[in-house]
Formats: sequence, structure tokens, C-alpha cells
Amino acid sequence: MSEYVLELKGITKIFPGVKALNNVQFQLKPGEVHALMGENGAGKSTFIKVITGVHKAEEGEMYLFGEKVDFKGPKDAQEAGIAAVYQHPTSYPHLTVAENIFMGHEIKKNHMIQWKAMNEEANKLLKQLNADFDSTAEMGTLSVAQQQMVEIAKALSTNAKIVILDEPTASLTKRESEELYRIVDQLKEKGVSIIFISHRFEDMYRLASRVTVFRDSQYIGTYDVDGITNADLIKAMVGREIKDLFPKPEVQIGDEMLRIEHLSRTGYFKDVSFNVHAGEIVGLTGLVGAGRTEVVESVCGITTPDEGKVYLEGKEVHIKQPSDAMKEGVILLPEDRQKEGLIMSWGLGRNVTLPTISKYAKKGFNDEKTERDLSKRLLEEVDTKAVDIFQPASSLSGGNQQKVVVAKALSQEMKVVIMDEPTKGVDVGAKAEIYAIMGDLAKKGYAIILISSEMPEILGMADRIVVMCNGRKTGELGRGEATQEMILELAMEKGTTGKGAAN
Amino acid sequence: MAGKSGRSINNVPKSPVKQMIFSWEGILVLLFIAVNIFCANFSEFYNLKSLLRQMPVYLAEIFLMLPMAYILVLGEIDISVGSIVCLSATMACIVANTGAPFIMVILATLLVGSLCGAVNAFVLTRFEELPPMIVTLATQIIFRGIAEIVLGSGGSISVTNTEGFAALGGKVGRVPYILFLVLILGIIAAVILGKCTFGRRVYAIGTNRLAAYYSGIHVQKIRFVIYTLMGTISGLCALFLMSSSFGANTTTGNGFEMDAIAMAVFGGISSTGGKGNIAGGLISAFIIVCLRVGLGQRNIHPQVILLIIGVLLIGAVALPNIIKEIQKKAKTAK
Repeated sequence: MSEYVLELKGITKIFPGVKALNNVQFQLKPGEVHALMGENGAGKSTFIKVITGVHKAEEGEMYLFGEKVDFKGPKDAQEAGIAAVYQHPTSYPHLTVAENIFMGHEIKKNHMIQWKAMNEEANKLLKQLNADFDSTAEMGTLSVAQQQMVEIAKALSTNAKIVILDEPTASLTKRESEELYRIVDQLKEKGVSIIFISHRFEDMYRLASRVTVFRDSQYIGTYDVDGITNADLIKAMVGREIKDLFPKPEVQIGDEMLRIEHLSRTGYFKDVSFNVHAGEIVGLTGLVGAGRTEVVESVCGITTPDEGKVYLEGKEVHIKQPSDAMKEGVILLPEDRQKEGLIMSWGLGRNVTLPTISKYAKKGFNDEKTERDLSKRLLEEVDTKAVDIFQPASSLSGGNQQKVVVAKALSQEMKVVIMDEPTKGVDVGAKAEIYAIMGDLAKKGYAIILISSEMPEILGMADRIVVMCNGRKTGELGRGEATQEMILELAMEKGTTGKGAAN
Repeated sequence: MAGKSGRSINNVPKSPVKQMIFSWEGILVLLFIAVNIFCANFSEFYNLKSLLRQMPVYLAEIFLMLPMAYILVLGEIDISVGSIVCLSATMACIVANTGAPFIMVILATLLVGSLCGAVNAFVLTRFEELPPMIVTLATQIIFRGIAEIVLGSGGSISVTNTEGFAALGGKVGRVPYILFLVLILGIIAAVILGKCTFGRRVYAIGTNRLAAYYSGIHVQKIRFVIYTLMGTISGLCALFLMSSSFGANTTTGNGFEMDAIAMAVFGGISSTGGKGNIAGGLISAFIIVCLRVGLGQRNIHPQVILLIIGVLLIGAVALPNIIKEIQKKAKTAK
């Protein structure tokens, strides 16, 4: 028996034109939580897919419990005791939790599904995880965190010995993350070995005992988490030192640009007021579900508020649809780049000029030459890593997609820029670049609202921090006075469950 | 001006000529030529003269393909157009038989068509979550139902004064008016979809409606315009149908929606939205027209012609997949 439950040696995976993995190695000890880190595009996902049998490596060997294995497909890996939980749970939203857990290995007797036994078994698994929902609940009605719990229950139901968690905390709130940490600890106690992929350093410090870093499809090294610093890790991941992750420039704060007063939307948020000045970055934070996104969506005309007023440069404005907001210069960079921000199958250039095509058009005819030149200039301005403006947005990494969203905003006349989770799913190198762009925008005198769940980001970038909880504004803190604890306290006021609604 | 890292992003498009040859439209042009060679060998009467003479009956349906292409690019569908054609044809007869001037007949027909289209448009934009397939299935039944009530027990109506309609069926030399109109409207539709901001927005909505909305596009306004125009063009189609049939009955326009959809899909306009162009739709429409004329000349039953077109359609849809599979096999064999 070897020292490792899982060992991979010299893995090389080639996709047409690219080496996605180049001679990488990895060892997983029994019962350990092993973090796998690296920038987007470093090859982590491909590597996971090699382990789970989705991809077949061109070269290299894989040993499971000391024995050489050769998976032909995901089913082989599953049967060997490897289970993966992905960032976006790939579930069936219209089926029940129990059906999702036992999908593919239903409890059957004479070819008939034993519903009662299956529901009970599922409930048993959920109870182990301290879940607060029943196995007969419909999957689609659950929150992302709960869906992830189901995925983990699914892994448990197959008696997995090795569980792979792919960015499980990316869309979770702080509290939900804590819950996940607890589950991971529980799995560890049961002797399950865990591979944990995450961009968050705090996840790694909290959970992992060792960390392996990939960069540019190559293996960089494996380190003990004890004694490693952020700076060491960033250097390993990015290949260079990032001196200042939050390059917040000193900006003279100007006149008030946007003020919202007593804004309410039944069931989402109530009586929210705050303002933002030219050159100022206002952080809007709170737990997921606190109503942050809903507030700015109402300001931008995506939805209509029931009550309240919005003032722009002192004058009241009536914004009924997104085009009105754009006319006024209030530009939203939506949270979901793939669904709301970009048309993924379109070229970068067309994406950038989509909101403003009529501006360049001559008598209704598109002026493609002007569009091409403009999008090239804007994409270069935000330093997008792209070959040409015709490549589809889907071919870029998360950080570069976000830059395209920024370029798209820059094509318009802006006064107020609202960035909703601009660094979600973005790796650390690109994050620093996005913060730099944000600082530049503030320097140019735009008023910026930054919505974020990430504490360091809010503390590092915002001049003022507005905290929301359960659809209400619970506090406002200045740059100097705010601490992580104060924000958390305001965000979780009165022992709320995090998923309520203002009435 | 380059970025901070000095990286330059290319913005010079590839040569359009090369792209065109290897595109679906290129294949369709070849198919068009092949179909004509086949028809000429198949029927001794098949030539340009006979084609021009027999074509007008089938050309009216090409009108429908044009707005249908827009609806398909939106990622939606309208299956009520056959019924709109029936209802507007019925109304055309009634107005014509009152002795009103022919220009009034034309306006009334287009108006009825537009109103029907506007009904679809209103329901679909007012309740934006409703699936177009179901809404237009309902209006398909409603519009034809109204026509049947108006037509009464006889189930048909003829025009007493055929002069105006006969004039619509006129020709310049050997070329019928309708061919000119089809080509002119086709070019206009192609230019708007391919070159204008309106068209770009239609593609944006069809590819990602939410992102289009977030980008400030008036999604519902555009959908309203397109569904209403679909009705107007259905009225136009009805007028030209009457120029050869001089009457309407309860089966007028039956199945036209499927013909229009077939022409568009065969032309490479994806029914899932965001793909294809009018040029492809037009070429495929003419392929279907030529087949109908050529096969019809040898007394092949219309149903059999439909069957052949159906097989062609499936082949057309499956061809890219078959090619991919063969390529894959060739690769693994290596």
C-alpha cells in the first residue's frame, strides 16, 4: 500500500492547439484536505476532469490506493469512489432532492423505484450534513448553498473515498461558507480525502493542510499550509509579485452624483437611502440575499421600485428601463457576466459596441469600421488578453470577460458606474488589474458603487461602506473606521437567517 | 493606442469572399444549380419560360419567409400566419365585392393582416413569459375560426370583379410583378437584418435576451414590431394568392406557416435563435419553388413533392452533423 490514496505522475493533456496540462503531478494523502490553487486557465479544471475520467490524458499515470488505474469514463471514476462537486451544481431543478441524490443509482426493487426508502435514505444523509430542508423539496427552490449540500450528499451516497470540491465557496456567503467548512471537517473525520479548489485564501487557511499550485498548465509545487504566506502563494500562482492588491488612489471627492431616497420594492428591500459622490467608491455589502443587487437593479430600471426617489446631480430622474439609465449615464456592470453582461457566442467587438451601436450608425446602417476601431481601443485600454476582436467572449477567462464588460461600459457616457461582484470567479492576478481599473475610473471622476461579498475587497477599495441586511440598510461606515467585525455584525443583525425579505 | 502591457488586439476582419464560399449559403447555391439541372433532365418542359409562368403560385409564400426569418432569429416562432392569410383573403373578397376601389381592398387586406399580427404581438409582449408556440397556436385556431364564421356554411367566397386582382398578377415582359416584389422585399429584409442596427439588435435578443435587455435594447418594442409586420406581410401574401385564385375558402393558407419555417430553416436560419441570414432563406426558398415547378410538370403528386422536400430538409439539417462525425471517425482511425 502506498503512502497516498491518489497519485498522478507526469500527466499531459493536449487539446487541439494547446497543452492544457504539461507533465503535472499530484499526491493526495489519506484523510487530508488538499487545496489546489492557480489562476484561471492554469489547468485546474482540466486536471480535475482527468481525475474524474471526463478527459483522458495523453501521457502519465494515475494510481488509486497504490494501484494503477485507467478510467474510460466518469462512471469508472465514480465506481472507484471518486466524486466531484462543481461550482455550479449540475442538478435537475424540477426533480426532488432525493431524486437528485440518487440519480443513476436509485434504490430499486424489481425495477421499481422504492420512493419511501429513497426519501428516507436521502433524509438520513441530509441530517448528517445538518441540512435544514427535506429530501422531497424541489431542487430548483433551494439556494446555491443548499444545492451544493445536495451534491455533497450525493457524493456521500456513492460512498466516495475521494471528494473533489471545485470552487464551492465562490457563490456562497460568509455564513454559508462556514457551514461548508463544517461539512468538510465532518467528511475529513470520516476518513474521506478531499481536493479543494478555491480562489479564496481564507478557505485554504481554514481547511487545507497542504496546497498544490499550478501555473500555465504546469506543476509549480506543493507546500504545507502552515508557514506559508499570501505573498508566497501569489508569487507561485502568478509568477511575479503583486505589491499592492488594492491600488486605491487618493482622489479628491467631488459633488454628489447619485442619491437614492427611501427606495422600496415589496418583498425585496425597504426604505434604502444612500448617495455617492464623484470620484468616490461606495461599497455596498451584506450577505447574499440581503437585497444589494435588487436595489441597484431598481436604480438602473431593470425592475421598478414601488416607492422612493432617485436623484442624479441633484435632479430627480425617472428611470423605467435600462435604456433610460444609460441615457442618464448610470451604467450597471451586472453580476452574471455570462447571462446578463455578455453575449458569450459573439465576438468581443460586437459585445463592446452593443449598447451604443445607434450612436455610430449612419441612417440606421451600422458603421462597422468605427465599431471595430472603437472596440479595439477600449479593449486595449483595459488591457484585455485577447488575440482579436472577433473571438467569442466565451473563449476568455473570467477576469478577461469582466474587462470586456468594463470596456462595454466605457463605450457609453458614464457618470455613475455600478459594479456588481466584479471579481467573482476571477483569479488573483486579474483581480488586481480590475481593482486598478476601478481606481482609474474613480480618478477620472466617475462615481462608483461596488457591490461585493468579499470583505478584503470592500475594505481595500471603498471610501464608504453601506451594509445591508434583509432588505434594509443597517449601517454606513467610513473608510478608516470600518473593520471586518463591524461589517459582519451589521450584515447579520438580529440573528437573521440571511434569506428573508422586507415586507 | 495600446494597453498598459502594450498588447495589441487585431481588428482587421478576414476576407469575406473566402468565408462566403465555405458557408452554408455557398452550399445552397450549388444545390440550387443541381436542382435546376436535375429538373431540366427530369422534365422536358422545364425551362426559364415555363418556370416564370408557373412560379407565381408558389412565390407568395416566400413573402412569409422574410418576417418568419426575423422571428426565428429572435429564437421564437409564429404558427398563426396560415390562418392570418386565410382571414385577410376572406376580408379582401368581402371588401372587393362591396365595389370599393381596389386601393381600398389592398389597404383593408393589409390592415386585417396587421391587426392579427398586432394581436399576437400584444399578447406576447404584454405577457412576455408566454411561449410563442402556444400563443400563436391559439390565435391560429381563433383567426381561422373567425374566417370560417364569416365564410358561413358554403365555406368559400369568390370575387365578382376580378379586374384589380388580375392586374396584380400582371407581368413585365415575361417576368411577373410578384417576382420583382419578392426580390425587392427580400433585399430590403436582408439589408435591415444584416447591416442595420435593428438587425443587430434582433440577433442580440435571439442569442441572449437578458443580456440584450441589460444592454438597453428595447426588447419588447422590437418583438412587437416584428410580430405585427409578420401579420402585414401575411396580408400581402393573401393579396397575391387572390391574384390567381380570385377567391378564398376555409383551407386557404393551410400549412403556409410550416412552408415558411421550412424555407428559413433549410436556409440555415436556426430555430433556436441568433443564427442565419435572409440570403440563405431566399436561396432555399427558390430551391423549393424550382423543385415544385419541375416535379409538378411531370404530374408528380403534390404530397410526394412535399415528401421529397421533407427528406431534403432533414438531410440539410443533418448534413453538418454527418460531416462532423465522418471527420471524427477519420481522425480516430489515424
